[in-house]
Amino acid sequence: MLAVEVRDLVKTFRNGWFPRRVTRALRGVTLAVPRGVIFGLLGPNGAGKTTLLSILATLLLPDGGHASVLGHDVVREAGAVRRRINMASGNSSFLWSLTVREILDIYGRFYGLGRRERQKKADALLDLCELRPYASVVYNELSTGLKQRLALAKALLNDPELLFLDEPTVGLDPDISIRIRQQVADLRNRKGVTILLTTHYMREAEELCDEIAFIWGGQILARGDAESLKRQIKVGDTITVGLDHPDGDLSLAGLPGVLHCRVLENSVECLVDDARKRLPDILRSLQDRGSVVSDVQVSEPDLEKVFIELVREGERRDVAV
Amino acid sequence: MWRSNCIKLLAFTQKSWINSRRHIFTVFEILFWPIVSVISVGLLTRFIALSSEMTAFVLVGTMALSIMQVCQLDVAYALLFEMWGKSTKHQFLAPVSPWHMVLGSWFMGVARGSVVFVLLAGLTLWAFDFNFFAPGVVPVAAFLLGLYLTAMVVGVLVSILLLLFGLRAEVSAWSTVSVVLLVCGIYYPVSVLPSPLAYLAAWIPLTYFLDAFRVHFGFAPEFGLSLAKGFLLSGLYLVLAYWGLSLAITHSRRTGVLLKMSE
Repeated sequence: MLAVEVRDLVKTFRNGWFPRRVTRALRGVTLAVPRGVIFGLLGPNGAGKTTLLSILATLLLPDGGHASVLGHDVVREAGAVRRRINMASGNSSFLWSLTVREILDIYGRFYGLGRRERQKKADALLDLCELRPYASVVYNELSTGLKQRLALAKALLNDPELLFLDEPTVGLDPDISIRIRQQVADLRNRKGVTILLTTHYMREAEELCDEIAFIWGGQILARGDAESLKRQIKVGDTITVGLDHPDGDLSLAGLPGVLHCRVLENSVECLVDDARKRLPDILRSLQDRGSVVSDVQVSEPDLEKVFIELVREGERRDVAV
Repeated sequence: MWRSNCIKLLAFTQKSWINSRRHIFTVFEILFWPIVSVISVGLLTRFIALSSEMTAFVLVGTMALSIMQVCQLDVAYALLFEMWGKSTKHQFLAPVSPWHMVLGSWFMGVARGSVVFVLLAGLTLWAFDFNFFAPGVVPVAAFLLGLYLTAMVVGVLVSILLLLFGLRAEVSAWSTVSVVLLVCGIYYPVSVLPSPLAYLAAWIPLTYFLDAFRVHFGFAPEFGLSLAKGFLLSGLYLVLAYWGLSLAITHSRRTGVLLKMSE
């Protein structure tokens, strides 16, 4: 069974009277998220990530298409969806004058938890999110990192089967980001929670997500795991060969699979379609030319490169249309 | 199921209670404005040498306005505080209904309104020799219930405006009650109003609750079956207001106002 199923989802925002501004936030998004995975929704600001997440979390109504969460239609069965999901945003905010414990207590009540259950749950979450020393501190006095941890704690109050995380580490120091990522990974590994996460940090997605979808201009450009996306886009791998005594013509541009070659002072840098396939030929060719290889480095493209390529492709397609 | 509903409902009461304790302006709402209002109006009645009946007429109106303002604000605060705190989306993400929000916060409004009533009743007795409890427990209770129900309708109307127009409509939380002041016979009988306004007054429940309560201070009733009409209208408006609130929530989900209130 799927955790999320989205078909041809459309959402347009209309603002102002004159001139009327029309923003097409989602333009026919189709997506399926299996249960028990961490699914990353990647894209720049304004790509439609938060809009999609908000529709799935029943905070927004779609204009067209269909979306279901844990088997419930998000429009017709919003109440059933809300009982089984929760959400934490990187820019979450709570009432400024409530203490950490009061926030957990009030939201616990919103989910219908009895007094003992609320206390037990709040205690466990204060420990899990390392918030216990701040239990009596009012929200306004918390640091950004603590606020983010509180948002995560609140999102776990109802033991959600599906958790939406909207840019959970945005604006955080690296060490806190790492801790939050660990907690997210633990949730999936220990409790089997399905997590749908939006981010524009490619490294975060690569590290955390089992599957990734690139969203741009309200459309899904590509989806798959990080490796398959890199292969799919054919950005190419880079092979850098260090040489002890470079001499003569070292350009390898003519070799099969070599897309581009640069000869540097003590090395040759080749962009190839597949490093595993092309490395033996490159090394053989250099040896044949009398070069002594001192060092070999192979680097695969990161998701950022893949994303840039995908956006370029999307722009070309838009221009063509 | 009922237990879960009670817990959710009391979540809003608890939130209002904490907000009332932590913010100085909510203390002002209970102590400062109502007391200033009653004292100034009471002194005015002395200055213009009103009879004891006329003093009763004006003080009942002043009391009603103060209680309604405090009670309706609590209903509106359920949304307003979340908007000020930019946390509206968390409330609407949880499996709570609009009626949990309205009723839960209204309980706090009733509590604060009752505090205002006791305070002002004591003050008018001491300063102006006017006893609000003179009509007896049942008429006072009916009068207060009528005020609280009308306040709930006004609070829900303010919430609808907030959901439709965002924080641009926050001023309505403090100004909507002024419309009531104009047409419901707070400081003068409805009979002195020009005909369109008198017609409008007949559609507002508070007009009937004031009319019914003033009868106990020697005034001839302006309407027949005032209490029944007042409660009937309140019930009707509550149903309509709740329906309007549900529509406004759906509308704000469609337009994205709900999300904008959290940004």
